[in-house]
Amino acid sequence: MTMPQPHDENPCRPRHFKPSPCSPAPLDGPAKQSLDTSHTRLLITAALFCLAFVVVGLRLVEVAAFKHGDPRLAHRGVATQPMVSRADIVDRNGVLLATTLETPSLYADPKQVIDAHDAARQLVRVLPDLKESEVYAKLTSDKSFIWLKRQMTPRQEYEVNRLGLPGLQFEDEEKRVYPKGGLAAQAVGFVGLDNHGFAGVERGLDRVLRSRSAPLALSLDIRLQFILRQEVAHQVADFNAIGGTGIIMDVRTGEIMAIVSLPDFDPNAPGAASPEALFNRATLGTYEMGSVFKIFTAAIALETHAATMTSGYDATNPIRFGGFTIHDDHAQRRWLSVPEIFTYSSNIGAAKMALDIGTDRQRDFLGRLGLLRPPAAFEIKELGEPLAPSPWRQINTMTIGFGQGLSVSELQLATAAAAVVNGGVLHPATLVKHAEGDAILGERIFSEQTSIEMRKLLRLVVEEGTGKLANAPGYLVGGKTGTAEKVAGKSYAIHSLLSSFLGVFPVNDPRFLVLISVDEPHGNTKSHGYATGGWVAAPAVQQVIERMASLVGIQPVDEDSPEIRRSLLVTSPTPVGRKFAAN
Amino acid sequence: MIRASTILWLSAVILVGYAMFQVKYEVVQQEEQLARLSRQIADGREAIRVLNAEWNFLNQPARLSELAKRHLTLVPIGTAQLLPSIDALPMRQAAPQQAAAASAAPVKTSAEQ
Repeated sequence: MTMPQPHDENPCRPRHFKPSPCSPAPLDGPAKQSLDTSHTRLLITAALFCLAFVVVGLRLVEVAAFKHGDPRLAHRGVATQPMVSRADIVDRNGVLLATTLETPSLYADPKQVIDAHDAARQLVRVLPDLKESEVYAKLTSDKSFIWLKRQMTPRQEYEVNRLGLPGLQFEDEEKRVYPKGGLAAQAVGFVGLDNHGFAGVERGLDRVLRSRSAPLALSLDIRLQFILRQEVAHQVADFNAIGGTGIIMDVRTGEIMAIVSLPDFDPNAPGAASPEALFNRATLGTYEMGSVFKIFTAAIALETHAATMTSGYDATNPIRFGGFTIHDDHAQRRWLSVPEIFTYSSNIGAAKMALDIGTDRQRDFLGRLGLLRPPAAFEIKELGEPLAPSPWRQINTMTIGFGQGLSVSELQLATAAAAVVNGGVLHPATLVKHAEGDAILGERIFSEQTSIEMRKLLRLVVEEGTGKLANAPGYLVGGKTGTAEKVAGKSYAIHSLLSSFLGVFPVNDPRFLVLISVDEPHGNTKSHGYATGGWVAAPAVQQVIERMASLVGIQPVDEDSPEIRRSLLVTSPTPVGRKFAAN
Repeated sequence: MIRASTILWLSAVILVGYAMFQVKYEVVQQEEQLARLSRQIADGREAIRVLNAEWNFLNQPARLSELAKRHLTLVPIGTAQLLPSIDALPMRQAAPQQAAAASAAPVKTSAEQ
C-alpha cells in the first residue's frame, strides 16, 4: 500500500540530509510521545479511507462489468399490476362469461374543430347510430369538452382515428362486458355504472371479484346452459306461458351446471330489461311445487318406516277434512300401494302417508332438507323466503304431503331432491366450481337404502306413470311430475298452473338432476289441451337429457339388460298397469 | 512536484467517476426500456382481453349452432348412434403386423408348392 511519507513534513529541510526512517530525529520526552500518537492515528485513518475506496471501486467494477441485473427487478414494473379492477368470470371450462375492458369514449373539443360540417358528416358515416344534425350541433357549441359517443368498440375507435379529424379525442373507461349475452343473465348478474355488482354472482361475490385478479370459475357449463335455455324457451313459446325455469345440478357435489329463468335480459344493457326479466324465478320466486313434493313425502315415510315399499293406503274416496276436500287428479278409486301412489301421483295416498309420518317428523325432515329457510351460503343473494304454514296443523301436514301449502324456490327443491337420489347426502347448492380435491360439504339425511328405493320409484313414474314423456331411451331417466295451481290471493287459481318435471339420470346411479318448470302454460293441440307437468315439462327434460348426455360423458345403456331390470325392480302387491296415459 | 501516487489516485478518481456516470446512463436507458416494455406488455394484455372477449362473443352457442346448420351437413349425435355401447363392438382380430405375417405365411407355402 502506498502511503504518504509521514516524516516528510518539512519541505524546507536540506536535501542532502535525509534521516533514515528507522532513526527519526532524536526527540524525547512528551514531544516524541505525542508525535508517535498522531502517526498512528494518521495511519489508521488513511488505511480506513483506502479500504473504503477499494470497496467502492470493486463494487463499481462488479456492477459495471460482471453484474447482469436481477431479473426480478423487471417484474416490479407496470406489467404485474392488476390490469383491471374486477376479475373475470368464466364457466367451468374456462369460457368467458364476464370481463372488464378498457373501452374508448369519444369526446370533442369544439374550439379545435376546423370544419364542423364536414367533421359531422364523416363521423356519422363511421358511427351510423349518431345523428348528423346532433353531432353538428355539438361540434359547434361553445364548450371545450363534449362527449360524442361513450364506450365504443375498438373497431369504431380505429375508424374514427383513421378520419384524422382535429379536435377529437378518446378517453378510456372501464366497462363490464358479457360476451355470452343473456345466456346466463340472472346467474352471472350485471354491474351498475360504477362497476359494482347489482345482481347475480356479480353482486353476491362482489368483494371477491374486486379483490382478485385471477378469473373466477363458476360451476356453470355454458353448453348445458344453452341447451337448457333453448328447451325451456321452446316450451314457454309452445304453451304460450308467461315464463319458465330450469336447473341442471350435479347431484354428487351440489354444483349447478345450468340455471335458467325466462324471460331473461341482456346484461350488457340491463337498463333496457323489464322487471319481470330481471326477476330470477329459479332462486327468488317461491312456489307451491305440487306433486313433485311427493318425492319428499315418500322418502321421509320410507326413512322413518312410516311406510314401506309394500304397504298401501286406501284411495277409494276423497278425504274430507275440516272443510277441505283432497281428491286425486288421476283417480284410481281403490287401495293403492306406495309405488302406485307415487306412480299415479295420488294426493289421497300422499296425504295419508304424510299423516303417518306426523307433523313433527315432517317439519324436522323438511327443515333439514333446507326447504324451510333460504340457502344462506348460496352465491346469489336474490333468494326467496320459503312460505311455511304457521301454525303447522294436521291439515297442513296432509297438504304439504302432496305439495300444497309450502312455497319453496326451485333451487331449494332441486337441492333437496338431489339429496334424496344421491345416496341420501345433502350437498349445499353452489354456483362456484369445486376445485379438484376439495372436500365436498354434505350432511346425511336419508339412508342409502331409502335412496335406492326412491330411485326405483322415480324410475317407475317415467316407465309407467305420469312422466312417460320424459323417457330418454338409454339414459335411464327417473323423475316426478308436478302440476301446481298457483295461489291467487287466498285461493288456488285452477287455470294458472305451474307445471314442472324433476328428472334424474342415470337413475341406477344418479349423476345429474334436471328440473324444468313452466309458469302458466296453456294446453295446445299437441298436448291434447293438457298443460300438466307430464305434458309440458317432461318432454323438455327428455330433450335436455338426450342432448346433454354425450357432453357430460354419460353412455347410453341397454335398458332391457337383465342387470338393470333387476336393479330397478319394484315388488309391489298389485302390479302397476300400463293402461293410463301420461299426463 | 506531482508525485506518482497523486497521479495514480487522480486517475483512479477520474476512472471511477467515468465508470459511475457510465453506469448511471446505462441504468437510465434500461429503465426507459423497462417502461417501454411494460407499456407494450400492458397493451398486449389489453389486446388479448379484447380479442378474448370478441372470440367468446363470436362463439356464442346460438350463433355456432346457426352457422353449423347453414354450412355443415352434420347433426348432433343421437342415442341410436351410441347404442350399443362401444364395449359391445368386437375387438380387432389381430394387430396389422401379425395379420401381415399370418397372410404372408400361406403365400410362402403356396410358392413352395
